[in-house]
Amino acid sequence: MGTGGHGPRHGVAVTDTTAPRRAKLELLVRRDDESFEVQAVSSSAAWIQMRPTRVATDSFELAEVPSRVRGEPSYILKNLRTERFLALSGQERFLWDQMDGNTSLQEMATGYVLKYGQFNFDIIPTLIRKLQQAQLLTLEPASRLRRVLARNRQQRLLRATELTLFALERINVSSRRVQPFFGGLYRWGGFLLFTPTVAVLCGLLGVLGIVAAVRLWQSTEAIISDFGHHKIVAAVAINALLLAAVALHQLVHGVALVHYHRRVREFGFTFLHGIIPTFYVDVTDIFMASRRARVVTAISGTVVHLVLGALWFFIALHTSSGFLRAFAATCGIIQFKSFLLALWPFFFIEMDGYHVLVDALGVPTLKSDALAYVGGLLRGASPLQWSREAALYVGYVALSALSVAGFAAFFVAVVIHWTS
Amino acid sequence: MASVAETAEFLQTVRLFRDFDEPALLALTARLRERKLRKGQVLFREGDQGEEMFLVRDGTILVSKAVTGKVEQVLARFGPGDFFGEMTLFDRSPRSATIQAESDTVLLALDRQNLTQLIEVNPRAAAAFFHSLVQVFIERLRASGELVAEITRWGLEATGLDMESR
Repeated sequence: MGTGGHGPRHGVAVTDTTAPRRAKLELLVRRDDESFEVQAVSSSAAWIQMRPTRVATDSFELAEVPSRVRGEPSYILKNLRTERFLALSGQERFLWDQMDGNTSLQEMATGYVLKYGQFNFDIIPTLIRKLQQAQLLTLEPASRLRRVLARNRQQRLLRATELTLFALERINVSSRRVQPFFGGLYRWGGFLLFTPTVAVLCGLLGVLGIVAAVRLWQSTEAIISDFGHHKIVAAVAINALLLAAVALHQLVHGVALVHYHRRVREFGFTFLHGIIPTFYVDVTDIFMASRRARVVTAISGTVVHLVLGALWFFIALHTSSGFLRAFAATCGIIQFKSFLLALWPFFFIEMDGYHVLVDALGVPTLKSDALAYVGGLLRGASPLQWSREAALYVGYVALSALSVAGFAAFFVAVVIHWTS
Repeated sequence: MASVAETAEFLQTVRLFRDFDEPALLALTARLRERKLRKGQVLFREGDQGEEMFLVRDGTILVSKAVTGKVEQVLARFGPGDFFGEMTLFDRSPRSATIQAESDTVLLALDRQNLTQLIEVNPRAAAAFFHSLVQVFIERLRASGELVAEITRWGLEATGLDMESR
């Protein structure tokens, strides 16, 4: 096929040498119904989504250089393979630590603002340029599972697994033009969620839900046996309802942004890590608002699970024995569990409660810093020197480990109890 | 459906046929077949076999090439008076890009057999046709070079790769 005429009008504009501008690509994205959408993607939009990956830990060495003049240390980063050295400031060291292949430049910038309270627009591109010149950045699969799969591509099963994960990860139904939708949600009743009356009602409902749960607890075995032969149907339905609750959770986050006059950048559905189906909302604009706004935005979504859990427990409590009672009670348990998991910050996962905690502490990279510190202690790489930071790191890891162990023990105990 | 006179008048605005005299234009009009596309409708896909070239009478056409999965790169956008699909008439290769309507569109199709007859019957018109075609091909080559440069610049900017200080 040829394309011609009065000179093709390309999807990209012809290079203009008179004024600097970002390059743009025009991409056509097909939908399942054979329709399509044309999106102009600027190089800057792609750049802020880049996830730089530092070279393997055995390929570099980082040394701290104390300074008596400035009062804050600087760092020397050495590439052990090329013998090249780089001097890093404390801020650059902070960014270097986040170049794990999982953190986008946009997320790094957010973390930087949270930690230092300001942003230097040149620091990230300058650092990346320095690191690229020193060959300290690489492109590798992010997770350990991905690395194992990548190393063993010759095995058909693992190759198929990798392809499946890759395909699922690419499933992303999202929109960036959602601000009017969330604005509408807010105007049509969403604003009520942020009134003292509704906050008190949610609290009361939560307390009453807990009371109902305690009353139901005494007859758990009888309730669970009510599932009868419909366990698989129940499991599918419960998971579908949980997914709907997650969607509602994310919608409330978005409405909270509108409440604080911030912009919802994106809302969508994807497979997290290629495995977990989930909805998500981009709330990064809230970082430009007050701390109260950030805390309320984080907590508001989790309250959805408290309210839904309470309602399910009410239904279970006021329903005579049968499938509906078992279903409602199980949904109640799962919603309350989701509420606790989302709010409890010590679980090695970065849920809403974790974000509130790191915001309050002013340590946006708490999890990765704590794991690196405790990992160093366990490997004997660094001695234990008690300080406020060390106590925080050890405390975080210890509490998280205890929480995970406690949750696992509770889960095993419940399974044993039911099966016996 | 447009009348013969209207179609002949339109053909005078098409660069390929601007040097055609009136009898040649009327002869060409009789060989064209009108084809309508709804917004979003695909005319043909990359890799399809083809026997026709098309003139855009009304509306806008998007030319795209597969990049990955469901994502394609928009190569060009054609409006009234533009033409596309002529390469396959000469080299008989499969279509090199996908064509879809960006808005409701009216096309005029000219197939290989009719083009061959037109060339045989009217050598003077054929010479004018090929002269215009070569000029368009040259413009298209230049535009392709600019597109490659733009995509390379996009890649450099998107990855932050600084080649000047390497």
